[in-house]
Amino acid sequence: MNEEQIHLTADVLTNGVGLITAAGYINNEGGQAIADAAGDLMERGCGTLLIDLEGTRIINSIGVSILLEIMEKLLEEKGRLAFCSLTPTISKTFEIMGLVQYATIYSDQQAARADLEGHASG
Amino acid sequence: MEVVLHLPVVPNVELVAAKAVEALGGALGMSQTRVEAACVAIVEACLNAMEHGGGEVVVRLAGENSSGRPRLVIEVEDHGGGFDPAKAPRKTVAQVLGCASKRGWGLTLIRELMDDVQIRSRPGQTLVRMCKYVEGGP
Repeated sequence: MNEEQIHLTADVLTNGVGLITAAGYINNEGGQAIADAAGDLMERGCGTLLIDLEGTRIINSIGVSILLEIMEKLLEEKGRLAFCSLTPTISKTFEIMGLVQYATIYSDQQAARADLEGHASG
Repeated sequence: MEVVLHLPVVPNVELVAAKAVEALGGALGMSQTRVEAACVAIVEACLNAMEHGGGEVVVRLAGENSSGRPRLVIEVEDHGGGFDPAKAPRKTVAQVLGCASKRGWGLTLIRELMDDVQIRSRPGQTLVRMCKYVEGGP
């Protein structure tokens, strides 16, 4: 189990891809922190966002509902959302809440970047 | 093996219940994936109880083996106005995309992530009883 505080990094990668790493509890505050980072990356020209949850083991539905809002904004702008390094339970939660219908899931960051930075357009 | 928690309504207190699931589930020999599923379920049950209940939330966890299949049994009790569980909708993503509110997934997640869920609710008391078998699918 992670600590309560979420720890984020946000970076602009090549080819219009933005990377957010999030480690910690994705609740309303954690989800909002990710949303703020996503909005910033979109303003900086990222049309594809990759969210790496390697350090996250616990989430709640309020946090995931904020991820749904990020996905909706990206879809409106013809962008793309992807996740990587999900635990089986987070993966199942995303499946139940429908995120996997609209976002791409990768096993790890290396696989995600190989695909997204090769194909994304910013 | 039993744990009883009386949780005040303070931010992130649901993580205390998740920690208890982690400890008890681990002691029962439950896999990490099954423990994490039960953690998400108890977090959702506690959040619902704190949002709709009338104050303190009581959480009981117990390891049981009465049917020959060891399992973790979790009860989350609040003392709010109650609701009709039969009328609580199962959410789908199609219902929430385009809507301002994307919340209300708690019971859907609990039902999907746990092996058995029973909800008894009346004005003044709602009890969510759920179990996760120690062994099973992921």
